[in-house]
Amino acid sequence: MGGLASALAPIAFVNETVLRLGRAVGVVAIALMVIAILIQVFFRYVLGNALPWPDEAARFCMLWMTGLMAPTAFRRGGFVAIDMVPLMLPRVVGQVLTLFLLVVSLAVLLVAVNIGWSEVTGFGGKFATAALYLPTSFGFDEWFRIPRSWMMASLLVGVILLISVNIELVLRSVVTLMGGGHLLPEIPDAPAGAE
Amino acid sequence: MLIWFLPTFLVFLIIGLPVFFALLAAPGILLWLNGQTNDITLLYRNVYNGMDSFPLMAIPFFMLAGELMNRGGITIRLVEFSQALMGHLRGGLAHVNVLSSILFAGLSGSAVADTSALGSMLIPAMEKQGYTRKFAAAITAASSVIGPIIPPSGIMIIYAYVMGESVAALFLAGIVPGVMVGVGLMLMIKFMADKYDFPVASRKYTWGERRQASLKAFFPLLTPVIILGGILGGIFTPTEAAAVAVGYAFIIGFFVLRTLTLKEVPEILSNAGLTSAVVLLLVGAAMAFKTVVSLSHAPEQLASLILSLSENPLILLFLINLLLFVVGMFLDAGPAIIILGPILGPIFTSLGVDPIHFAIIMSVNLTVGLATPPMGLVLFVAAAVSREKVETIAKAILPFLAVEIVVIFLITYIPAISMTIPRITGFAN
Repeated sequence: MGGLASALAPIAFVNETVLRLGRAVGVVAIALMVIAILIQVFFRYVLGNALPWPDEAARFCMLWMTGLMAPTAFRRGGFVAIDMVPLMLPRVVGQVLTLFLLVVSLAVLLVAVNIGWSEVTGFGGKFATAALYLPTSFGFDEWFRIPRSWMMASLLVGVILLISVNIELVLRSVVTLMGGGHLLPEIPDAPAGAE
Repeated sequence: MLIWFLPTFLVFLIIGLPVFFALLAAPGILLWLNGQTNDITLLYRNVYNGMDSFPLMAIPFFMLAGELMNRGGITIRLVEFSQALMGHLRGGLAHVNVLSSILFAGLSGSAVADTSALGSMLIPAMEKQGYTRKFAAAITAASSVIGPIIPPSGIMIIYAYVMGESVAALFLAGIVPGVMVGVGLMLMIKFMADKYDFPVASRKYTWGERRQASLKAFFPLLTPVIILGGILGGIFTPTEAAAVAVGYAFIIGFFVLRTLTLKEVPEILSNAGLTSAVVLLLVGAAMAFKTVVSLSHAPEQLASLILSLSENPLILLFLINLLLFVVGMFLDAGPAIIILGPILGPIFTSLGVDPIHFAIIMSVNLTVGLATPPMGLVLFVAAAVSREKVETIAKAILPFLAVEIVVIFLITYIPAISMTIPRITGFAN
């Protein structure tokens, strides 16, 4: 039990720290999404000039917001589930079932990370985005066209973070199953609901 | 063999696997057993492509707009406006609760936001006036389901995206059903007020006072006009309208009402982002799930199963309403739509039911499920806000649920209720 608890502490610390950073980037991303679409509306209807980039830029931000913020929701118990059966079962059976469900989730995520890596580094990731460029000189006369893989990496990063959270939850579940639930530190903040 | 992914999915769901993982695990396992490993890659691609969507961006935007409005003190202005109109009636505060929900629904597409925002204000006020706490919590929960029916509506954006329908058409089709739920609840309140001698909330407001309350609520009440007017006028797409609603809520909160501070902004953005991220992942998984639904020919097989029960669409709609109601008791509206939309939608469309009409039947039914025991989400929120037991609220809400069930059947069997506005405006055939 002591070994498990000491394995849990660094994972919990890493998750807490990385996810806090992820939330901060996510907050910026959602703000940028709004700004990009408002610019699109302004240019199209006020200046009569339809810009090519706001749509794709906003989608870029939305994908990263999702990848970086969904793991926080998962850690806080915010992934929608019908949890009646685990709650109705005798305590130990319910905890075994919870552990089983976490293992199934982990299996899904491991398959996803494998496919995600080959997608990002593979053929599809080699294409460029349609309208997203980054300046590569101070004079704004040289531009780098952002590759599509930068967008696709959002889901891969999200899956990796979900795996990290899942491992923490599995360890917490094992500790609880072994009767050490009272030793576990609380995961901060209330559940984030999906509705 | 692939058809077995549906029972596998149900088993996963019932034993408590989060919907996101169940949507991927069940088809994934079956594809693997079937030797279709390349299609597992397709599942992943569809999750990504499902999320990479411009129309879907309306979800975080509407959530953000609702959050900004709520924090910006707009709720209290809506309640004061409702009180000026209906506070003098017997059972006045209960009527105010319902009218506030109708008005709030035009700003936010979430029943949970409605329950927590209006409940924290109106439940204590109702208790102070002599209503029982369980009644106050029950009417708050029952009326909050209007939120996702009247536009803007998060679940309708999801349905439209997953099923390839027009968001504008669904928004328009939800207006009359949402108002009908509100009017039905008010009629029930009137009946109960006369029977149980409910209190009157306040003296009758003078027209001058009503005008004053209207002016204070003017800017918030303009939001749905901007959203729907912009979409109908062809000025904005629904996503752009949602972004404009965010900009509008920001300007109102900061510069007009001056109730928001910059310090609050990161938390508001974070709340909207967290909630949206879960929904967006779910929608992505639903798009992947939908691919396997098509590959497995499940709708055709289910259609023949359903048609073997009866070939009369009216009877089938009755049965489907029962199924949706039971599902709504256990699962939130959003995930339920994501799961059942791709399966049931094509079946009923092939039976001659208009896809917009079916979308409204499904949305309203599953939204009412948010207030039904044992797993209705807004019952739990109402319990937390009122500090009343869920079981007690679940009993007190029954008369209001009865009203909502009647409305569901009226919507089901009189398509004109939902279809007239989309047809008049040219958004449906």
